[in-house]
Amino acid sequence: MRQKADRDRILGHENEADGIQEYDNPLPDWWLGLFWITIIWGVAYLVHYHFIAHRSPEAALAQELAAAELRWAATQASETEAEFVLSAEAVAEGESIFQTYCVACHGANMLGGIGPNLLDDEWIHGGTSEDIVRIITDGVPEKGMVPWGPVLGSDQVNRVAAYVISRNAEALGRDPAEALRPPEGS
Amino acid sequence: MEYTNPTKVDESIYDDDIVRMFFGATVLWGVVGMLVGVVIALQLAWWPANLGLPWTTFGRLRPLHTNAVIFAFAGNICFAGIYYSMQRLLKTRMWSDKLSRIHFWGWQAIIVAAAITLPLGLTQSKEYAELIWPIDVVIAVVWVVFAVNFFGTLATRRVKHIYVAIWFYISFVITIAVLHIVNSLAIPATLFRSYPLYSGMTDALVQWWYGHNAVGFFLTTPFLGLMYYFLPRAAERPVYSYRLSIVHFWALVFLYIWTGPHHLLYSGLPDWAQTLGVVFSVMLLAPSWGGMLNGLLTLRGAWHRVRTDPVLKFFVVAVSFYGMSTFEGPMMAIRAVNGLAHFTNWVIGHVHSGALGWVGMMTFGTLYWLVPKLWKRELAYPNMATTHFWLATIGIVLYTVSMWAAGLMEGLMWRAVDDRGLLANPAFMDIVDRLDPFYGLRLLGGLLYLIGAVLMAWNLIKTIAASRAEVRTPSAAPAVP
Repeated sequence: MRQKADRDRILGHENEADGIQEYDNPLPDWWLGLFWITIIWGVAYLVHYHFIAHRSPEAALAQELAAAELRWAATQASETEAEFVLSAEAVAEGESIFQTYCVACHGANMLGGIGPNLLDDEWIHGGTSEDIVRIITDGVPEKGMVPWGPVLGSDQVNRVAAYVISRNAEALGRDPAEALRPPEGS
Repeated sequence: MEYTNPTKVDESIYDDDIVRMFFGATVLWGVVGMLVGVVIALQLAWWPANLGLPWTTFGRLRPLHTNAVIFAFAGNICFAGIYYSMQRLLKTRMWSDKLSRIHFWGWQAIIVAAAITLPLGLTQSKEYAELIWPIDVVIAVVWVVFAVNFFGTLATRRVKHIYVAIWFYISFVITIAVLHIVNSLAIPATLFRSYPLYSGMTDALVQWWYGHNAVGFFLTTPFLGLMYYFLPRAAERPVYSYRLSIVHFWALVFLYIWTGPHHLLYSGLPDWAQTLGVVFSVMLLAPSWGGMLNGLLTLRGAWHRVRTDPVLKFFVVAVSFYGMSTFEGPMMAIRAVNGLAHFTNWVIGHVHSGALGWVGMMTFGTLYWLVPKLWKRELAYPNMATTHFWLATIGIVLYTVSMWAAGLMEGLMWRAVDDRGLLANPAFMDIVDRLDPFYGLRLLGGLLYLIGAVLMAWNLIKTIAASRAEVRTPSAAPAVP
């Protein structure tokens, strides 16, 4: 297709193009090749994706979840077994977790902001240690609190719960151990 | 129809006043739009620059920036270039001077209305189509005025052959009308508020059909038209290939219009529609590069002039960035790449390699080439134009490289998991904090680009002022070159 005579032949329209001359050079082979490759790829990808491999975002997600299940099965089993302990050590570690993840909503002084006050005597979603661990783990999505379990892991959730319980008891002048017992008569 | 096609046309039959008006508007809105861009870049790097006022927060100034640079800066240069070149290419004055003026003043009024309503928080919340319904109606009317004038001129042309630049202008005039009207269909509720005719996913698809083709038919095809006229005129070389211009024009306009769904990958849009968006975007690579090739190969035999002529310098970098961002675009439309890049600063980097590189540099080159033609006076400070060129080029490199790096970092940090299968960066704020140095670099890049544009404005104003002074004192000795 590349003929010598075709090279740099002036088309002769310049009188109708404000003096701009035009060559009528052939399309560069590599350019035409690139165009064909993208067209063939496009058709092949479409047919393969939908009609041969039957791919879809749902299938991709299921595959990813199955792979994660397999890869981190051991971790997940051990995670669920972590136990809640109210120790000075847990409280100290819980504080740094609280400062990183919780202050944005509950405030550095724990008096609330976007989220509720954690130092008063009112527990909207339950005040036992199990309740508090559950709230942190599952979040309160309808009020905008995200589930922290998948982010922090149960070990860290327990520690930050210990910190919240101990600070709450301190603020109310109670023995933190008291807080662990279910309140009587209510 | 009869075509007289005179060999020589007296330049005085052309309406160049309208070109000068759009020329001035381009420079003014260009500096304003870029200044707002630098302000919002500063806000991202240093939040107190939001000033704590609702009118000056990032959320309101960002659409002001995009509207100003796209519809005011880029729009006005397209109109200036079209009014200048189409009269000469068709050897006839614009069909109606009155419609030309309504187009100019209508368009500037729309820009002013945008600059007032957007900071007030009046918006339709559709990207690049934020303006509220009364302004949308005015845009439609002004666009139709432009279209009538445009096609009236085409119909009364005195040549038979229609040069390639005009084909690109036609695609601009027709497609933008269709895109704007269809995407803006809404039921008005009050003077400032309306409800879109479409809902949910349909609305999203219509919006991105519009949004991506605003890129295609507002920032690409009219600028390719400008390239086909101003680049060979400036280089004084023949266009490389007429055949290539036909093939890449039709391929480009046919393929572009399908690519919108690539903005909605991994969304609720039906999967087959997402696939179409991917496939058409990838097929768009070669047609886009056809324009780049025709531009660069037209410079054969003129490369030695690129070293000295600032106009050609701007055009070469513009066309190169066009080639680069039209390579990047199809790659980012591939599902796997999009999964990493979407919602990161990489997208901002991509857009700006097209906006600052292709659109901005094409505009600067065209303005520098036009000023001696329109005001019969050589550029006041030619060296300052070269300084502008280097400031802009370095600015673009800083901008795009910092945003690529930031985007890749964000994308990788978002999806990283630790050895227990938990998110490695569970606190979003940690990732945002790491963006600081990149936002700083981007601010610097944008600032260099803005300084370049201010130098250009100064240079052009001095040139025009000198030309006017000369007109007022015709007895003065001819200017020493």
